[in-house]
Amino acid sequence: MSARLALMIDLERCTGCKSCEAACKQEHRLGPGEYRTKVVWSGGAEPPSLAFLTLACQHCERPACQRACPVNPKAIAKDPVSGVVSVLEDRCTGCGECVIACPYSAMGYDADGHHAVKCDLCRERRAEGLTTACASVCPTRAIGFGRRDELLARATLEGRTPRDNDAFLLGPATIYLERLAPQDAGRRPAAAEGASIEAKAEFPYRVERKNAEADRVVPGGCNICFNCCSTKFHFRGEELVKITGNDDDPLLRGRVCPKSQLTLQLYRSPHRLLFPQKRVGARGEGRFERISWQQALDEIAEKLKQTRKQHGAEALALFIGTRTGMLDYLGYTRLFAQLWGTPNHEGTDPFCASGKNVAYELTQGRIGSGNSYTPEDIGSAQLYLYLGDNQAETRPVYFGMVNDWRLRNRAKMVVVDPRLTVTASKADRWLAIRPGTDMALALAMCQHILVNNLHDARFCAEWAVGFERWRDFILARGYTPEWAEPVTGIAAAEIRRLAEEVAAADGCVIFASRGVNQHTNGTQTNRALMFLAAITGNWGRRGGAFFNMSHGTPIAPNAPKGRRPEISRPRVRRSPTGWTEAMTRGKPYPIKALIACNNPLAQWPGQDAAREAFSALELLVHIELFANETSAYADYVLPAATGIEKGEIGRGNDDRRIVWIDKMIEPPGEAKADGWIWIELGRRLGMGDVLKEDYKDPARFWDEVCIDNELMRGVTQQRLHSVPYRWVRQPVASESAPEIDTLYLAGTSAAGAPPGHRFPTPSGKLEFWTEAMEAKFAALGLSALPEFYAERESLLDLPWVELLDSDADAGVLSPFCRPDTAAARGRIVPPSADGPGARLRAKGFDTELVTGRPPAAHFHSLTHYFWQAQEMWPDLYCQIHPDKAARLGIADGERVRVETAHGAIEAVAWLHAGIRPDAVFVPIGWGERQPYHPWRSVNFLTDKSQRDPVSDQTNLKALLCRVSRAA
Amino acid sequence: MPFASRDIDDRKLVRMTAAALAAIAAWFALRPWLAPAWREPGSPQLYLTGLAGALLLLVPAAFALSKRGGRSRDPRASFNAHVVCALAGAVLIAVHSGGFLRRPPALLLAAIVVLAALGIWARLAGARRMAATFASKAGTFAAPDAPTRARLRQLIVEKTALLKMLDKDAGEGTFSVTLPHLLRQPRLALAYRRLAREESRLLGTRAAVGAAQAWWRPLHMALAWIFVLGVAIHVLTVTFFAGYVAGGGPITWWHLAAWGTGW
Repeated sequence: MSARLALMIDLERCTGCKSCEAACKQEHRLGPGEYRTKVVWSGGAEPPSLAFLTLACQHCERPACQRACPVNPKAIAKDPVSGVVSVLEDRCTGCGECVIACPYSAMGYDADGHHAVKCDLCRERRAEGLTTACASVCPTRAIGFGRRDELLARATLEGRTPRDNDAFLLGPATIYLERLAPQDAGRRPAAAEGASIEAKAEFPYRVERKNAEADRVVPGGCNICFNCCSTKFHFRGEELVKITGNDDDPLLRGRVCPKSQLTLQLYRSPHRLLFPQKRVGARGEGRFERISWQQALDEIAEKLKQTRKQHGAEALALFIGTRTGMLDYLGYTRLFAQLWGTPNHEGTDPFCASGKNVAYELTQGRIGSGNSYTPEDIGSAQLYLYLGDNQAETRPVYFGMVNDWRLRNRAKMVVVDPRLTVTASKADRWLAIRPGTDMALALAMCQHILVNNLHDARFCAEWAVGFERWRDFILARGYTPEWAEPVTGIAAAEIRRLAEEVAAADGCVIFASRGVNQHTNGTQTNRALMFLAAITGNWGRRGGAFFNMSHGTPIAPNAPKGRRPEISRPRVRRSPTGWTEAMTRGKPYPIKALIACNNPLAQWPGQDAAREAFSALELLVHIELFANETSAYADYVLPAATGIEKGEIGRGNDDRRIVWIDKMIEPPGEAKADGWIWIELGRRLGMGDVLKEDYKDPARFWDEVCIDNELMRGVTQQRLHSVPYRWVRQPVASESAPEIDTLYLAGTSAAGAPPGHRFPTPSGKLEFWTEAMEAKFAALGLSALPEFYAERESLLDLPWVELLDSDADAGVLSPFCRPDTAAARGRIVPPSADGPGARLRAKGFDTELVTGRPPAAHFHSLTHYFWQAQEMWPDLYCQIHPDKAARLGIADGERVRVETAHGAIEAVAWLHAGIRPDAVFVPIGWGERQPYHPWRSVNFLTDKSQRDPVSDQTNLKALLCRVSRAA
Repeated sequence: MPFASRDIDDRKLVRMTAAALAAIAAWFALRPWLAPAWREPGSPQLYLTGLAGALLLLVPAAFALSKRGGRSRDPRASFNAHVVCALAGAVLIAVHSGGFLRRPPALLLAAIVVLAALGIWARLAGARRMAATFASKAGTFAAPDAPTRARLRQLIVEKTALLKMLDKDAGEGTFSVTLPHLLRQPRLALAYRRLAREESRLLGTRAAVGAAQAWWRPLHMALAWIFVLGVAIHVLTVTFFAGYVAGGGPITWWHLAAWGTGW
C-alpha cells in the first residue's frame, strides 16, 4: 500500500464556513493576504445552487510548481514517500514562478516576507501524530486526512464518487468527493471573493513557530454564538497563541467554526477600547477625553441619582446586548435593575427570539426543545425540516452533525426559506417561500394532516390540551393547501407532499429560527409549527422535535424582596425600540438615561428613530469592547472585557449545554469585566450588600447567586470543572444528578414540575388552547386560535396586524411578560387593495427585503473587528436574483442602493439565482464606524413599529423595498 | 520579523532605493561645482567609478547564474547581494556618466533605472498580486479540451524519452532544465525546455494571471542580459575604439587601442 498522503474533501459535507482557513492561519501564523488554503464559493443558475471548494495544494505527482522553480537545488521539494510537496522557505527568493505555474492557483505567497508559502499537510502536526489543522476543526467533517489509498477505500465503502480533478495530468493527490447529485458550480460572486485587508497582524500571527508553540492548554468555550462550542486555549507562558476545538469533548469532538478561532484576533486587537472616556464634543461627533475609572463611575452614579430624583427610577433603561454574556445579562444587570427599581431592562430577545419564547412557554411551559444533539436523539430522525433556519451558517457545528446523520442514515432534508441558503444547498428540496408566510404553510400542512387523519390521534388525545378546539378552528377556516399556495408561493401539491412526509416519518425534527421569529406573526407561526410537530407525534420522543434555537439559560437571580424598590410604572415596552418615544418625547413616561452594551445604533430596527432618541438622552453610558456608532453618541464610554478576559458562561444554545469559560488572561489596558463595572457602579449607589465585592469573581457569583433553581442546582463550578470539556447539560437538580439527553419522554415528569407532569405546563400536557390562554390573547385584542396574518408590507394583499397603541401610548399590561410590561393592542386587518402594502407598491417599492445573518465567519458586529473575518467577508452585500438584476441593469459586484419607506443604504450586488425573484437579502452586522470595511447598517431600512403584539418581536424579514444601481 | 529575518523587507528596500536616488540627485545637483575630473566620464576618477559600478552590476548577473548553477548554498543571501549591488552600482554608473545623458552609453543608465523599477515594483506591488493569485484561477478544475489533453499526454511521453538522454536519474514529474544541463548538453536541454514551455503554455497558467505579474520577471531578466551585453559593448568600445569614443578629443582613460579616430 502506498504511503502517499492526501486530504479528502467531501463536497456534500462542506458548507463553506471557512473554519479550515482560520485553522490554517492560526497553525501557520499566516498574516493578511497569505493563504495555504481557501474556500471558494460559487453559485449555479439552472437549477440554483451554491457550491464550495476548499482549495489547498494538490500535492501533485508532477508538481508544476517544483518544475517552475528556477533555483538549483530547488526551493520546492517533494517527499518521495509521502508525496508531500513543500516550500523550502530559506531557499526561496520570491520570484513567484511557482505561483504562476500552479494551474490550481494553490500556491500561496507571503508578500511581506517575499517567499512562496504552501500547504505541506501540516508537517509539524504530522510529526506529532496529529491530523492537519483544517481537518481537526472542520465543523462538518468534510475534510479528511490520511493515506490516500485508505481514504479512497473509505470513499468507495461509503458509495461515494471521487471527482476527476486531474485536468492537467499532474496527478493531484487531493480527493474531492462529488455531491450526491452533481451540480454545476456556476459563477463566483464578487461579494464572496474576499478582500485584501490592510491590517497589521498582531501576535501570534506572522511569528516564528518556535515563538508561538504552546506549553499549556486550558479548556473553555466560545462565547460568541448559539452553537457554544467547547474550545481549548493554548498558551505559551501567559500569551495566548492558539484557539482550537476541544477534542476531549465527546459531543463536538474538536469541531469549531471560524468564529471561535478568530477570537484570537480579539484579545490583542488594536481597535479595543482601553480606558474610560468622557465625551467632549457634540453627540455623534466622537470626541472624547480619557478619564479614570473612579471619575467615570463617580460621575455616572451622581448623574443617575439626579435622574432618579427628577424623573423617577424608571427613567433609567438598561440595554444589555448578548455580547456582554449571559452572566451579565441574566445576572449582574438583572440584580442591578431590581435594586435600582427600573423595569426597563432588556436584551436582544425582542429582536431575535421573543416570539418563539412566548410560544414555547404557552405550549410547553418552558422555553426550548427537550431534545439533544446525540445520535440516538436528533441523529435518529428520518426527516429534517428547516423553516427560516439557516443552521449551516448560524450554528455550523450543529449543522455539521445533522448533515452527517442525514448522510449516514439516508434521512431526508427539506428547507423552506425565501433564499437558497447554505443549509438549503444541502437539502433534498428547497421550497422558496414568500417571506412572512410560514404560518400559512404550517396551517395548511396541519389542515391536510387533520383532514386525512394522518395525525397521531393518541398523542393528541392524551397530551394536547385544547386540541379539538384548535382542530375545529383550522378545519373551519379552510386553511387548505390550495388556499396556502398563492400566499406562500409553494404549490399545493408540494404542501401536501411535505405534510404527508412529516406525518409518515419515524422521527421528524422541525427546525425553525429567526426566519420564523422575526415577524409580527412570530408567536403564532411558532405555535402553528409546534402544533404541527405535536400532532405528528414529534414531541417528547427521540428523533422527533420542534427545535427553535436556542434553549435559553435558566438563571434568574433575584435581589431580596426588601431590597427591591417598588416599581410604580410598567416597562415601557418589551422591545427596546419601543423605548424611543419615551426618550424623545417623554411618553408614556420619560426615559432620560440609558446604559447600553453592544451597539444599538446599528442593531435597533429603525435607526433614524433610535438616533433621534439617543440624542435626546440626558445620560448615555456605553460599555463596549470597540468604539462604534453608539460610542460616538455616548457621554461615557467604558472599556469592557470579554470571554477569557473575565470568565463567564457561553451563550444559551440548542443543546441545553451550559459551557463555562474561565478567566485566563487580563483584559487589555484598563478594560474591566462587565460584572466589575456593575458592582462598582452599584457600590456607589448603595447596592453593595447584594452586588457584593466578592461577586467580581464570576465563579463565585455563579455558584452563590445564579444557579439556585431546580434546573441548575447541579451545574456547579465543581461539576463544570470535573469534565475536560467544561459543560453540563441542564437540567440537573444536584451535582450528582445524571444529565438527561431527551426531556419529556413518555412516563417521565418534567424537571421542577409536579410528579406526573410530563410537560412543565399548568396541565402537565402540551397546551394548544385553554380558556386562560384565550383570555391572555383577548387582553391584546387577539385570539389564541391561530388566525392567519402576514406583514404590513407585502407584494400580496394579505391580512396584517395593526397596533392600536403607539409607543407613546400607555397601552395595556401584557399578559405575556414579566416584569409588568406595557404592550400595544393589536387588530388583524383584512386584506384590501388600498392597504399599506398596496400604497407602497404604488410608490415603486416592488421588492421584498429579507435581512439576516451573513456567513459563518461573522456574528453581528463583533467579528467585523477581526481582520480575518473581514478578509473572508469584507462587504455588505445584497443578494438579488439575476433576472431582476438584469432588468435593473445591475451587474454582479456593482454597488446598489436599497431603499425602503424607512431609509436607504448601499451594498454590493451578489447575483444569486437561489433567491425568490421578487426578493433581496441584505445581512446584518455592518456599521459605519467599523475599521476595515464600514457600511451603513441594514437597520436603516427596518421599521421599529412593525412588531408582534404578543411578543413585541420586530419584523425584520419582510419589508418592501426598491433596488437600483448606486449613483 | 519572523520568516523575513534574512529578507530585505519593503521598508528597507524603499529606504535603500531612496538613498540611491538621493545620492544620484545630489551628485547631479553638485556636478557644476565639482572639479572637471569629476565631470568627465573618461577621467581617471570617473573611469574607476564606472569600473567599480560595472563590477557591482555583475553581481546580479552572478546571482542569476549561481542560483541556477546548483552550488548556491544560500540563494536568499545572493538575492540580497543582487539588490544591494545593483543599487550601489546604479549610483556609481550614474556618477560615471558624468551627466552626459544624450550619448549612447546613457542607454545603459536608462536600462538600470528600468531594471530597478521593475524589481522594486515586483517586491512592493507584484508581491501583493502574487499573494492574491491564491484560488484566483477561474478554471481551476475545468478539464481542458480533448486535443489539448491528448497533446499534454504526448508531451509527457516525449519529455520522458528525452530525459533518459539528458539526465537518466531524473524523474520527468519533478525535473526542469538547469544551467549545468544547458552547458553540458545544450541541444538536448533546449529541446527539453521547448517541450516544457509548450506544456506550460497548454496549461495556460501564465495567461491566467495579469500581464504585469506574468511578464515582469521575463522582462527583468531579458533587460538584465541586454544590459550586460551593453556593458560588454561599452567596455570593448572604450578599450579598443578609444579614438572613436573620444571623437577627436583627448583619450584620458586606460585603453588598448584607439581605433576609429577618423570615424
